[in-house]
Amino acid sequence: MLDWLLWFTHMENSKPLALVLFFGAFCGIVIYVFTGKKRAKRLESYKYIPFDDEPPSDHLRSEQRSHSRKVIDNE
Amino acid sequence: MAQSAVLPADQYNFDIVRRFMIVAMVYGVLGMTVGVYIACELAWPFLNFDIPALTFGRLRPVHTSLVIFGFGGSALFATAYYIVQRTCQARLAFPWLAEFTFWGWTGGVALGVITYMAGFSQGREYAEFEWPLDIAITLVWVCYIVVYVETVRRRSQPHIYVANWFFMSFLLAVALLHIFNNLAVPTGLLKSYSLFAGVQDAMTQWWYGHNAVGFFLTAAFLGMMYYFVPKQAGRPVYSYRLSIIHFWALIFLYMWAGGHHLHWTSLPDWVSTLAATFSILLLMPSWGGMINGIMTLSGAWDKLRSDPIMLFLITSLSFYGMSTFEGPLMSLKSVNALSHYTDWTIGHVHSGALGWVALVSFGSFYHLMPRLYQTKLYSQTLIYVHFWLATIGIVLYITSMWVAGIGQGLMLRSFDDYGNLAYTFIETVEFMHTPYVWRALGGAFFVAGALVMAYNMVMTARTSRREQAALEAKLAAKLAKA
Amino acid sequence: MRHEHIETNSALMLLLIMVVISIGGLVEIVPLFYINETIEKVDGVRPYTPLESRGRDIYVREGCYLCHSQQIRPFRDEWLRYGHYSLAAESQYDHPFQWGSKRTGPDLARVGGKYSNQWQVQHLKNPQSVVPQSIMPRYPWLLENDLDYADADTRMRALRVTGVPYSLTQIEYDANLKKYGKEIADQLDINQAQNSLLKQAREKNFDGLPERITEMEALVAYLQVLGTMVDFTKYDEGYFAQFR
Repeated sequence: MLDWLLWFTHMENSKPLALVLFFGAFCGIVIYVFTGKKRAKRLESYKYIPFDDEPPSDHLRSEQRSHSRKVIDNE
Repeated sequence: MAQSAVLPADQYNFDIVRRFMIVAMVYGVLGMTVGVYIACELAWPFLNFDIPALTFGRLRPVHTSLVIFGFGGSALFATAYYIVQRTCQARLAFPWLAEFTFWGWTGGVALGVITYMAGFSQGREYAEFEWPLDIAITLVWVCYIVVYVETVRRRSQPHIYVANWFFMSFLLAVALLHIFNNLAVPTGLLKSYSLFAGVQDAMTQWWYGHNAVGFFLTAAFLGMMYYFVPKQAGRPVYSYRLSIIHFWALIFLYMWAGGHHLHWTSLPDWVSTLAATFSILLLMPSWGGMINGIMTLSGAWDKLRSDPIMLFLITSLSFYGMSTFEGPLMSLKSVNALSHYTDWTIGHVHSGALGWVALVSFGSFYHLMPRLYQTKLYSQTLIYVHFWLATIGIVLYITSMWVAGIGQGLMLRSFDDYGNLAYTFIETVEFMHTPYVWRALGGAFFVAGALVMAYNMVMTARTSRREQAALEAKLAAKLAKA
Repeated sequence: MRHEHIETNSALMLLLIMVVISIGGLVEIVPLFYINETIEKVDGVRPYTPLESRGRDIYVREGCYLCHSQQIRPFRDEWLRYGHYSLAAESQYDHPFQWGSKRTGPDLARVGGKYSNQWQVQHLKNPQSVVPQSIMPRYPWLLENDLDYADADTRMRALRVTGVPYSLTQIEYDANLKKYGKEIADQLDINQAQNSLLKQAREKNFDGLPERITEMEALVAYLQVLGTMVDFTKYDEGYFAQFR
């Protein structure tokens, strides 16, 4: 019944499988990250975080949103 | 901006950052000086002076531990504690625990190097600390993780900034590596035998050794880069999306690459082939980080001319790019056959350690100084002086090691017309004398630069104290008048 | 799922990082303990005697591994210079392994028997007196320090815990007797550790000082056994290739 599990123990099977899985995951992440205009804008907006604790006079402030909520972890 | 009304210096715990930075400089200068000394021992062996504690075999771990753990480690503590506070806009959690990590870490490193000189060593490269120190370090590390993660959890910012991802991966990976690589059975207070033997022990050690480079000296310093380069440049990092990709790829791929330190050994071929493959792949995420850092400056290249701190940061990224190209090259089995066991490896390590790790730390420290001491840096000129001393030192170092390493590799494998070996081993030792002298000189340049920096830092701190005193006197006078 | 879920949840982030960094090590290290071909099937490799083992401790203490490798690679020049390439089996009792990563000096994997005991002693005392161009430090204290062997048995006990077949019980002794013969089985017996150490030192007198047992004695004993355990004339040239 569990014979099909043996298929994974053969190196010639598990190697390409691992390759497909890892490469697939990589491609998935790349596609996710680099497609979608809205997503791009959203993701890129987080790069201003290091400037969030500077006085508002900073010229960067105009370009981006600010967070002031006290946020607790999602967990 | 809830906190903008308060001065950062009051809002955050800068004291711990300051102290770790000072310790990093002290251990840095010490460790690099020991490095120059042992480099001289290889050029002029009389310097061993028949004193056990001063022989190359005992001082070499002193050098590596002081610069990696003493300098690099303390620099990471300092910058991690600074960055996590500023990007999370939260004060450092558990200040007493952070205090403990300070004394634990600096004390651990000091005890470690003293025990090495007394002849206590596990005989594993970069993990020579004997078992009681290993346990102490584990404890300190767990406290480090607790302080760091709890500060992240207390953030007043929904997002965890990318610099913190790198620090988090570094904290976890180093804990994992340290614990598994130091599994040993003690016999007596300062002697133990590693749990694994031979080939398994070798693989575990180089899984550790390579990822000590990957996570201690790379991932964590990338975290440093992701904060200080944008801050110093006054512009955000080039691409946040690139940082997502290269972060996950980097931490995944690094863990596979350790086996390339064991090409052509008794390690089974399948492991070393796998390790070589992943080492080549590693080029991409490594360069992803370099591109992201350097391109942050795109459109503002003139800063390289006007800002010496920027010069440090960008040069460090260039060396990072260079050594992460050299690394995959050396992990090819055919290249490795020549380069392994020679000084080429030593040169490669130093192009990363001096060029990347040390320069990015220096740049970050120069950025930190005015903010931690609330005054201007004592001298801009001295930063330039430091920069050129360091750069000349690195170039001398790595070129002399290329000559020594490639030269020795070629000599060892050359045959005469009758198929006999063309050179004896000792002839290659003689050949390496000249490059060894140049290497020591390069190292001396680098130490000189670090000393210039230390002077600049001391003078800045003194100015700060004087200004503070003047301010207080003024205030007191005002109060007295009233 | 968005990447934001990870970026805003520190526990999830830590968990994912842990998963991602664990895979490489698991795939490459764990099988080494289970795949039978990792260590070659070969006769002759035995644990170190108490004296050799103490010598190995001194080798580790002085950091010899930082300039000398113990790992010969399968190349023609290394074959000519050092001998047959190293087998995994030959370091199966090495806690820790001492393969090294740098050859500032030559490889030592098969240095055993290459030079006489006197040469080794003289070379360690003053390398330049036998190899004028050498850059190796001098180790005169190895001859001055008496070897501390009071805890030889405790050290063997620790090694036994790691899996080295030193015998503590009669059954273990008998197993060694069958495998290695009486002389070696006695040497590997923890209960007679000190006596065996003295016996080997007196018989071989590695340091040339019959009345004393110095650290030099132990270190030279260790160097002289390196790479000598396997008799390569017993195996076909292709035999070891199947294990790579």
